[in-house]
Amino acid sequence: MDIVVANLTQVFGAASRPVVALDRVTHTFPSQRFTCILGPSGCGKSTLAQIVGGIEPFTSGSVTIGGKGSAAQPLGTHSVMVWQHLNLFPWRTVIDNVAFGLEMQGVPTAERHQRADALLTSVGLRGFEQHRPPQLSGGMRQRVALARALIMERPIMLMDEPFAALDAQTKIVMQEELVRIYERSKMTILFVTHAIDEAILLGDEVVVMTARPGRIKEVIPVNLPRPRSQEMINTPEFGRLYDRALHLIREEVLLSMRQQQEATAGST
Amino acid sequence: MNAGAQRQSRTKAVIYWAAPYLVIAAVLVAWELAVRLNGIAPIFLPAPSVILKYLFAMTVDGSMPYHLSVTFLRILVGFSVAAIAGVLVGIAMGMSPLTARIFEPWIGALYPLPKISLIPLLIIWLGTGESYKIVISAVTAFFPVVISTFAAIRQVDTGLMKAAKDLGANTRQIQYNVVIPAALPGIFSGLQLGMGVTMIMIVAAEMIGGTSDSGMGYLLIHAGQVLETEKVFAGLIVLAIFGAVITSAQKRIDHLIAPWAHREH
Repeated sequence: MDIVVANLTQVFGAASRPVVALDRVTHTFPSQRFTCILGPSGCGKSTLAQIVGGIEPFTSGSVTIGGKGSAAQPLGTHSVMVWQHLNLFPWRTVIDNVAFGLEMQGVPTAERHQRADALLTSVGLRGFEQHRPPQLSGGMRQRVALARALIMERPIMLMDEPFAALDAQTKIVMQEELVRIYERSKMTILFVTHAIDEAILLGDEVVVMTARPGRIKEVIPVNLPRPRSQEMINTPEFGRLYDRALHLIREEVLLSMRQQQEATAGST
Repeated sequence: MNAGAQRQSRTKAVIYWAAPYLVIAAVLVAWELAVRLNGIAPIFLPAPSVILKYLFAMTVDGSMPYHLSVTFLRILVGFSVAAIAGVLVGIAMGMSPLTARIFEPWIGALYPLPKISLIPLLIIWLGTGESYKIVISAVTAFFPVVISTFAAIRQVDTGLMKAAKDLGANTRQIQYNVVIPAALPGIFSGLQLGMGVTMIMIVAAEMIGGTSDSGMGYLLIHAGQVLETEKVFAGLIVLAIFGAVITSAQKRIDHLIAPWAHREH
């Protein structure tokens, strides 16, 4: 299922002092591909993912999901979100967090636990079914969040800086886990990040966004072979892509920092 | 670590553990000696040993267990009424802005009013029987419960609600499966506040009702009026222990129902 975004504009705040988060963003995220959205903080990349997921409304433009001929359905029915802050339910056990979506659909306990068990095993959390999220490490909580999204079996997975809070080593392990899941499942993935190496390592293409107002600055195709692994970071091709993205993003980051400084100075 | 240092650290641990008990014992001994050596009249300050004797006698003759259980029953009834009404209204306010708008001026106006000032009116309406004691304590405890519940519901992390919606939950499912469990820790702290004021108001109401003839409040005021200071002290000790038991029992129940809520503390 392609995700076709056309002239998407998102304006926050009062009419007197509007903040343009997204400015006429147009892009087709191809079906079954892994697209990374890279941009400085505050550029509206999370907003874009949330709009595609039907979580936030938007001001104007259009977002269409689905192949040719199929009727357009409301946003959110084909996608599932993995959140930056995970948003796990702390009062639920790990297995009941993972099975939440099925429980809401009315799937009987035995069946949904069986399916959740299978997923927990595949993400390496066997034996932690009855723990609660606050008892787990950051990497383990991340796996729970991933399993909770995967159990929905929706064709599109939206990921909003999911690994930003992890330590460097755990991040590497989770990236490899995600690559493995993607290469097996062939979902369509939109992965929001501000880390250049992460975007290139994971994505089939990297959409680089400008500082506010968020526009698409350039789309970098990533032709590194799959299966991907961390060793590819040392290849000349990776280095070339990294330099390209760094060059594009540097001026946007500087611009974004200047904007934030002005905003801080203006508010005090 | 050598044997000497080990022994030293064990001694330190024993002192650390025993210190509060030693201080309590020292205070009691000092109290006992002060009363005996200075010949203080028991109507002003009875010695701890005498209080203990009274406590024992009142337990054996059944008067202390009787008054304590009457007070306990009244507290249970008053607290239950306040808890049920407060939690229900608080949840309704938290989930429906219209309900919140309707209740807010009433709560805003009545919450700062010292509830004890309602006693004359309640005695006119209800007399000094059971219903007056239950109503005054329930009305008092209702406010902390309803305010905490309302705040807890409103402060639920919107990220959790968005996540549940994204996973296919409808509005009702979000309310039952996300909002209420997420608000439970806040609701429990409101219930603890409510229990505290229920205990205060029941004992106070037992003291004030002129025709009252039972309960710890009655026991205290009655013993005080006839200068049986030993009984007053005995009653105070029982009430203090009773309060501590209720509070810790409530914390245990909260922990059983919401074990995730206290992990971080």
